[in-house]
Order: sequence, then structure tokens, then C-alpha cells
Amino acid sequence: MAHFDKTLEYIDKIQNAHTPEDVCRALVDVTSQFGLTALLAGTVPGQGTPGEEQRGHVLLCDWPMDWLERYVTRNYVDHDPLVQYMRKNPSQVTWSDAAARIDLDRSAREVFCDAGAYKLNDGYALPLVTLEGEIVMISLGGEQVDLDEHAVRLISLASTYAIGRAIQLSSASPTIDHRPELTPREKECMRWAAAGKSEWEISQILGISEHTSEKHLLNAKAKLGASNRVQAIAEAIRHGYIA
Amino acid sequence: MLYAFSTSELMDRPDLWQAVHSLRHSIFVDEMGWDDLRRPDGLEIDQFDHEEATHHLVVRNGELAGYQRMLPTTRPHLLTEVLTDLYEGTPPCGPDVFELTRYAVAKPYREGRWGVSSVGSELIAGFIEWGMTRGVDKVIIEFEPMWVLRALQLRFLAQPLGYQRTYGRQQVVATLLTFDETTLRTVREKRNFDAAVLAQGEPDFIGYRKAS
Repeated sequence: MAHFDKTLEYIDKIQNAHTPEDVCRALVDVTSQFGLTALLAGTVPGQGTPGEEQRGHVLLCDWPMDWLERYVTRNYVDHDPLVQYMRKNPSQVTWSDAAARIDLDRSAREVFCDAGAYKLNDGYALPLVTLEGEIVMISLGGEQVDLDEHAVRLISLASTYAIGRAIQLSSASPTIDHRPELTPREKECMRWAAAGKSEWEISQILGISEHTSEKHLLNAKAKLGASNRVQAIAEAIRHGYIA
Repeated sequence: MLYAFSTSELMDRPDLWQAVHSLRHSIFVDEMGWDDLRRPDGLEIDQFDHEEATHHLVVRNGELAGYQRMLPTTRPHLLTEVLTDLYEGTPPCGPDVFELTRYAVAKPYREGRWGVSSVGSELIAGFIEWGMTRGVDKVIIEFEPMWVLRALQLRFLAQPLGYQRTYGRQQVVATLLTFDETTLRTVREKRNFDAAVLAQGEPDFIGYRKAS
């Protein structure tokens, strides 16, 4: 449960990011704990897509710049074992498993070899499908990758929200969330306040000082535009912060 | 058009009742392999088809093309009773939250492996319109993770309720979706159909074509 709260916090941050770069950073914050420090996400281009067009497929990128340059100019996308794997069988996979399951020709080996030179030794990739039926691939890599079942679940969840946010940001219309932004702590304090707890009780429950719980509640009240505690709770419920 | 029926209203229309439960059986038992729900009469019915459930039916060409069931979260529902490993903490509940289950599009009305067909998106527009008329703006859905991305593209506000799990061959994640006018506008834009889909009254008699 504790780690799920943390997960929600990560996802909150991703959903509130205002630029693709912020989305990238918020996602890498999650994945770097498991050694995945570089990220590229985009729709999978068809075989033979010219380099300039390939760039248009990119949604999120914080690969080393010269590695992306090299990848595009050398047309690695047509030889990348991961891309081949995703075109054939869109499912989540580690780089090494994808390599093992695809017949590696010389140029495919070259892509992996070259990635290693940029300290991308292994990684993890997963596909998502858009409303329009396009496949988006997210590929995360790093020098020393350490993934377990929990990591994979967290990464796939966070990646999905990151791509969703990136697509929202790339389309022109405004986003749905016009709610005042409460921090996870503020929400938590509001939930306890709604359950009738005093500032002192909340501080004991959350293991924070009474002063801090008071501050969280005051901030939440101000953000919700409420003039007193009761109205703040009503507003928090209306905005869906308290179920 | 999409028609909303209470369970008792649905039972007053044996043609529709039969069509609903056999479509559910053909999709969830025969196709998706939920064998616990298999019944010799080919009708899929569970304990949540109670008097407070609402059934949404999309009718095309005089037959049942799409279906979903809305369950109030003010009493036990799938997430709290059956899919309990899909949530962490306390699942959201209240008169403004419903659980959407048994989302189904009949085979002839689908669009490829990945596409969202016009019947599929009519179900989505339908539950938003239905919710808006009754002060409901949140649904809990247990669906494949790829739907999270679609929901975000449709401008739902999404929040995971737990991690994804693997059931058989399927990945499932429980998600709370919040919607508003922007969501409805986006759904309507994407489906190129601006008018309401929620119908008044009842459809004419329908026959059910067995899934081939």
C-alpha cells in the first residue's frame, strides 16, 4: 500500500507536467530507480521511413543527443531488433529478450553494440496502442538495469500515463483537469479532516507536526477557494479529491 | 442509439433480455474464456444483475450490437467482491461513482484488432451522457492497460486504483475515470457524431444473431 501511494504521486506528477520535457523528467524519475536512465517513445515508423520523418514520430526523448542523431542518420530504426520485435509482436520485453527472440543480422548487432557505447547496455520496451490504432513504443535503457516484477508493473503504469500526457500536450485542445492542484499530502490531510480528525490527530496519524498539518489544511483551503474548513471539505469532495 | 434499462425493465422485454445475456456469454465465456461463467443455456448472468444495475444496449440494424452494465458503488460490485487484487487501499465509492462492467461489442461491429468501432465509441459517449443526467461523473473500469491511453486521449481524467494483473492471457488494470463536458466533446469529435446517443423509450423488437 505504501508503495502504491508513491506510485500515485509519480503519476500525479506526470499528469500535471506542462511540457514534454517535464513528462520525460517525471517518467525518468520513476525508471531511474531501476537503472533505466534514458528514454525514447514514439509511434513505430514503417520500414523505410526517411530520417526526417522518423523524427516526427518521436513523442518523448531524452536519449543522449548524439546517440539519437546517429540512430536517425544511420537509419537504425530499420535494423533495431526492438523495432522489429514490436512490429511483429507488440508486447512488453527487455532489450536482451527481444534480441534473443529475433534473428540478429549484422546490422542489428551493430545497433545494440553502438547503444552500448552510449552506456545503454540493456533496457525495457513496451508497446501501447492509440485510439487511432497506432502502436507507440516506449524504450528505456541504461547502463546497469535491475528489474523485478514490481518494477515492471510500476514502469508500465507510469509509461502509459506519460504517453497519454505527451499526446494530450501535443494536441491543441485544453486538458480536462481544471481542478486546483493539491499535493498528495494536502489531499491526505483533507481526507482525514473530512473524517472528522483534528489537526493534532492528523499530525499523529501522518507522523508530522501539528503545525505542518495545519499548514497543509490552510494551503488546501486556499487552493480550493474556500472560506472555512467545512467548505474546503465540500469543495474537495466536489473535485473528487475525497471519495 | 443507446438504450438504458433497469434490470426489471430489461426482464419485461424477453427479446432484449435474451439478446443481452447471450451476447455476454458469447463474448466473455466463448471468446474470452471466463469459464467460471459458462452455462449450458448459453446465457451469462451473475450476481450483479440485480435490481440496481443499469444495462446499456446499442442497437444497430435491429440487433444488439453493443452492451455495457453500470453498477452502483454504494453496494458490493465486481471490484470489491471479485477483482479484489486489482485495488490498493480503499476503492472510491458513492452516488457519483459507478462501475462499468461487461463492455462488449458484437463481432460484426468491431474494427480490426486495435480499432475502436463506432459501436464501441457509442457505448463510451452513452455512459457519459447517462452519467451527466444523474450526477455521475466517475466510473471504475477494469480494462486492458491499453485503454488507459485511449481514455487519456479522450480527455478522461484517469487514476489507477492498483497495479495491473494478468488474468489468463489478459492484462487488467482497475482505473477511475472522471469525465466532464470536455470529455463528451472530445468523444463526439473523435467519432464525428455530434448528437446525443442516449435514446428515450425502447427499441423495436430485436432478433439476436448468434456470433459465428
